[in-house]
Amino acid sequence: MASSGQEAPPYKPYRQLKILRGHERAVSCVKFSNDGTLLASASLDKTVVIWSSATLSLLHRLVGHSEGVSDVAWSSDSHYICTASDDRTLRIWDARSPGGECVKTLRGHSNFVFCVNFNSQSNLIVSGSFDDTIRVWEVKTGKCLHTIRAHSMPVTSVHFNRDGSLIVSGSHDGSCKIWDTASGTCLKTLIDDKVPAVSFAKFSPNGKFILVATLNDTLKLWNYSTGRFLKVYAGHVNKEYCITSTFSVTNGKYIVSGSEDRCVYLWDLQHKNMVQKLEGHTGTVISVSCHPTENKIASAGLDNDISVRIWVQDA
Amino acid sequence: MVGVSTVDPLQGDFPEVIEEYLEHGVMKCIAFNRRGTLLAAGCSDGSCVIWDFETRGIAKELKDKECSAAITSVCWSKYGHRILVSAADKSLTLWDVVSGEKITRTTLQQTSLQARLHPGSSTPSLCLACPLSSAPMIVDLDTGNTTVLPVSIPDAGAGAAPPPKNKFSDVTPSFTPTAACFNKSGDVVYVGNSKGEVLLVDYKSAQVRAMVPTSGGAVIKNIVFCRNGQYLLTNSNDRTIRIYENLLLSKDGLKALDELSEATEGQDDVEKLKAVGLKCLTLFREFQDSITKMHWKAPCFSGDGEWVIGGSASKGEHKIYIWDRGGHLVKILEGPKEALIDLAWHPVHPIIVSVSLTGLVYIWAKDYTENWSAFAPDFKELEENEEYVEREDEFDLIPETEKAKEINANEDDEVDIVTVEKDSAFSDSDMSQDELCFLPAIPSPDMAEQQEKCIESSSKLVDSNNSGSPLSEEGEPNGGAMNHASSPLEEDAGVARLKRKRRPSEKGMELQAEKVRKPLKSSARSSKLKNKSLVDEDTSNGFNGDDVSDEYH
Repeated sequence: MASSGQEAPPYKPYRQLKILRGHERAVSCVKFSNDGTLLASASLDKTVVIWSSATLSLLHRLVGHSEGVSDVAWSSDSHYICTASDDRTLRIWDARSPGGECVKTLRGHSNFVFCVNFNSQSNLIVSGSFDDTIRVWEVKTGKCLHTIRAHSMPVTSVHFNRDGSLIVSGSHDGSCKIWDTASGTCLKTLIDDKVPAVSFAKFSPNGKFILVATLNDTLKLWNYSTGRFLKVYAGHVNKEYCITSTFSVTNGKYIVSGSEDRCVYLWDLQHKNMVQKLEGHTGTVISVSCHPTENKIASAGLDNDISVRIWVQDA
Repeated sequence: MVGVSTVDPLQGDFPEVIEEYLEHGVMKCIAFNRRGTLLAAGCSDGSCVIWDFETRGIAKELKDKECSAAITSVCWSKYGHRILVSAADKSLTLWDVVSGEKITRTTLQQTSLQARLHPGSSTPSLCLACPLSSAPMIVDLDTGNTTVLPVSIPDAGAGAAPPPKNKFSDVTPSFTPTAACFNKSGDVVYVGNSKGEVLLVDYKSAQVRAMVPTSGGAVIKNIVFCRNGQYLLTNSNDRTIRIYENLLLSKDGLKALDELSEATEGQDDVEKLKAVGLKCLTLFREFQDSITKMHWKAPCFSGDGEWVIGGSASKGEHKIYIWDRGGHLVKILEGPKEALIDLAWHPVHPIIVSVSLTGLVYIWAKDYTENWSAFAPDFKELEENEEYVEREDEFDLIPETEKAKEINANEDDEVDIVTVEKDSAFSDSDMSQDELCFLPAIPSPDMAEQQEKCIESSSKLVDSNNSGSPLSEEGEPNGGAMNHASSPLEEDAGVARLKRKRRPSEKGMELQAEKVRKPLKSSARSSKLKNKSLVDEDTSNGFNGDDVSDEYH
């Protein structure tokens, strides 16, 4: 937290380090593992690639889904990956096994599974689907603990808070809601406008704030206990796709997001001004992920691009 | 007094109904880890099963061929790395929780009714064992050495008064199980003997340092501290639970006792010990059921020490009495007609867990009430009816207040997205980074046949306590959302659970508790939504306040 009177360190720009080509169709999601050693990229080509975060070489390819994969999530110990696919299933994979082994398949959703996340204890998985429901699954047995008829349109985003007691969900129906994990009941409705659609929602690292993206080119940071938004970030283009955004905390605090104008945008968290626009992708940037400890960003491009790009800050 | 409460049950933070039950073999005794994220249960077949209390699934099983006798007690080490079980074959086994491996096994001369690990250390080697019919002892699990603790003060001679003889204390010490427990820091053992005396024992020297008699001198069956060490309870044969305030609150209990001894005068040893005792414990309250004159079983405190619970020791009855610390009976929980054999209050949440003679573990929680203000951002629940006063600009086309709301949006205040507040529920802030709160959930691999048989089960759950909410719709629209189904593909056989709505977490209760006095406003928009998804989807849902969201029921 910069206190008044103190100069914030000058912003160091990110530059493109490498282009990773490992997919044959649009890449839908990229995520660094919690220990920072691995990077997973999911694609509409039905596969997930695991890259080494240090060497940026392709380590394994997870094959098994029968339709495109929309989202991928890491367990806290970086051992397991969970994928959400248009084939209506979620799969849990062992990230360490050389062959990229699928350990479990979670069935229950009746339409495309669009988003997925582990809780920090990694004993639960939450998934959101085009069947308008949110499901909470027990990792060990694969049993579905709750099926929540959460929205009236596809669920675009689900995320646990720090201690796993709450789930935030966003949907095309324009609402963003908070659920109690233990009982599966709705605790709060943050946004309830029909338009614009909520395309992404996630808790801040300390679980006090929620970053919400809506399909009117806007990102807002909400304090969910007061139900008021505190910051607005704009300048990017987001009218059509469920672009993911995230917090960058390794060297100053920023909000990072993809955009439909083929750039990655970075804004200063407090001052809301755009600090950099990363150019290079040749298609919509649908997903971004920040390395947990290094100043490294990974971004994924849709159909016209099909690449994963790595950006780093010079020392 | 049955059924009558002097305190409004709606105001208290204690459970009300059975939420769920856990089944795995025949469980006999239970213990929560420090944070209540794991529940260990000792079984009749000698194994100890650890439940993940969040998922209500089994996280680990501790068992080996050598011990197949029923477990009599189970105890966690302070930060959850070790579990000690005592079994009916006179053994004490110490387990490493994460690896599931046995560390040591010691066999004593008698079966222990209870064994407690030293509370001060994260890898304790000492434990306090209370055998079936002899004095409690300290057992060194590494060496097997035992130190028998004194259970009475030797008579000081002619001056001592004879022990009171009434029908509650006619059993001689050597044949009565004597209750004992460590204090919070583990340097003093509190022994409750058959003469109704509480002895403070320095176990290193096996010496009694203080004595507190209880009125009536009835045999003490249980002696338990609350988590923060401020209160002690005794459960005696005269059907009374007594609460004492602990006056020795410093971390070094022995030093405090030394100082008190120095400062206290006494005609003889017994008098001196009693005098020191007066400065260690003072009687705060006594609880009894004067009508049914019930014997109590497995009494204990709630996590914050505000409540005391005791189970009815009558056969065929599963009753849990809840008192506030001031002695008022606030609730009686009544379960199925099966005797209650063990009881525990969750360290953090208002949840009680009870074990029945049939081997089932019942989870008691608050009855969930619908939160109407959750369904739209502007909904606020009101405590009572309010006169609605229109705002000056209420019917303006562009009300001033709406404009003001927009301006507030771009505040320049700093937000802190990283700092996490300390957990205030735990007073000992020596937060060991090493605390074991969770066992890693390793997904068990699917079996080939299961993948084929995976069909959605649409069986509805038996839920007799369902508080019918007008929002819960019958039938499944869109063929999509199913109610939580009791899956036919259980991997752990016999883990059938009766599941009802679970109560929201504390955070949930906080969010629910916001009761701002604002007039109710419902958003009344009904514009259709443009299709904005990657794939074409059905978008024909019109807006209806009731449909927007609901719980899964």
